[in-house]
Amino acid sequence: MGDEGENVPANESNDSVVNQDELILAQQRQIEKEISESIPLVGELDSVTSLCKEYSTDDVYLEKIKDLASKYSHVRRTRPDGNCFFRAFSYAILEKLLCDKDSFNTFYKLAENSKNILVELGFQQFTVEDFYETYMEVLKRLSDIDNLDDAKKELHIIFNEQGYSDYMVVYLRLLTSAQLQKEKDFYSCFIEGHRTVVDFCHQEVEPMYKESDHIHIMAACSALNTGVRVLYMDRGVGSSVTQHDLPEGCSPSVHLLYRPGHYDILYP
Amino acid sequence: MTCLSPSERRLQKELMSLIKDPPPGVSVDADQVEQNLFLWTIHMEGASGTLYEGERFQLQFKFSNKYPFDSPEVTFTGSNIPVHPHIYSNGHICLSILTDDWSPALSVQSVCLSIVSMLSSCKEKHRPPDNAFYVKTCNKNPKKTKWWYHDDSV
Repeated sequence: MGDEGENVPANESNDSVVNQDELILAQQRQIEKEISESIPLVGELDSVTSLCKEYSTDDVYLEKIKDLASKYSHVRRTRPDGNCFFRAFSYAILEKLLCDKDSFNTFYKLAENSKNILVELGFQQFTVEDFYETYMEVLKRLSDIDNLDDAKKELHIIFNEQGYSDYMVVYLRLLTSAQLQKEKDFYSCFIEGHRTVVDFCHQEVEPMYKESDHIHIMAACSALNTGVRVLYMDRGVGSSVTQHDLPEGCSPSVHLLYRPGHYDILYP
Repeated sequence: MTCLSPSERRLQKELMSLIKDPPPGVSVDADQVEQNLFLWTIHMEGASGTLYEGERFQLQFKFSNKYPFDSPEVTFTGSNIPVHPHIYSNGHICLSILTDDWSPALSVQSVCLSIVSMLSSCKEKHRPPDNAFYVKTCNKNPKKTKWWYHDDSV
């Protein structure tokens, strides 16, 4: 298309689709509503073999679940709303840290200093503050609980309360964006097309519900100074799941299951 | 003092910041906001040295109680709607941060800055090519339009 007509609503030039936009959006809302009513933001622990129920007629997946079950005992599902990586990752890392006070304190200090880094990078102070304060409040609340089981219960409650849970997601998105921007020379090689790292952050990292790719995971790990092992399960050839450590060669503190378009948490 | 909801708290903060430290050419009608925190009117002046120099515009911001997770509904209102290839004569604006690329880290201020810069970079005043059709058929709420964003240069 030339200059003319480059900026047009999707319903142009067809009288019969007058309300098409509204229909599409209404259907999207309906799907989102069904998902949010049937799948909690973060679920309870399930056995890995419970995944078989989703693929009862699919031999490729059933084989791979068998392989997965030889390495992991449990899975914790997250809601597929485009935020699943960020939600799963935040939850899993905090759950892990609850078992290790020293690491938790190091993490807490890192988080405490993170606001200044964001503001220095040009994020607006009061928008960052909102999310930072809630993020720190959650960390504080968790660190104040001495009993491990109680702390894990609290974590689970917090992550299923939309208000708190989404704030945690936003803040991790901002930290990830900051990390990408801080090391933009490195990350620019991973961005397809001619978008800059900053454009990429504005369009694919900071907005809610945008799905995560390798590049998000690498930057999020680097921002939180940790590593992730991702187990890939799809209909590709072979009977085993493929695993990737990010960053390469790390000793991962969080294990995630990836199925096309979605992340859940895994437990050895 | 009554307890504010998260979106009210956030809007209150934004309002203070916008009154204290507004971007050049932008001002908020504080009296009106006091009546209803979820409906703002913003006055905007065309920047000097641009095609809109000397013009005054009015923007309306409508917020839901899910703000800042939901983007605000932003339209030009009043008697002077800027003539611009991304602005329809009913005041609807085709700007990706108002729908697809909205992030809770954005704000009224960053939306205003984007609109100012969109106006300032315009080289030729004209309406979008499909203006007549769109204005006739669209929903009152611009967020109910599925926009295609192709061109970031204007």
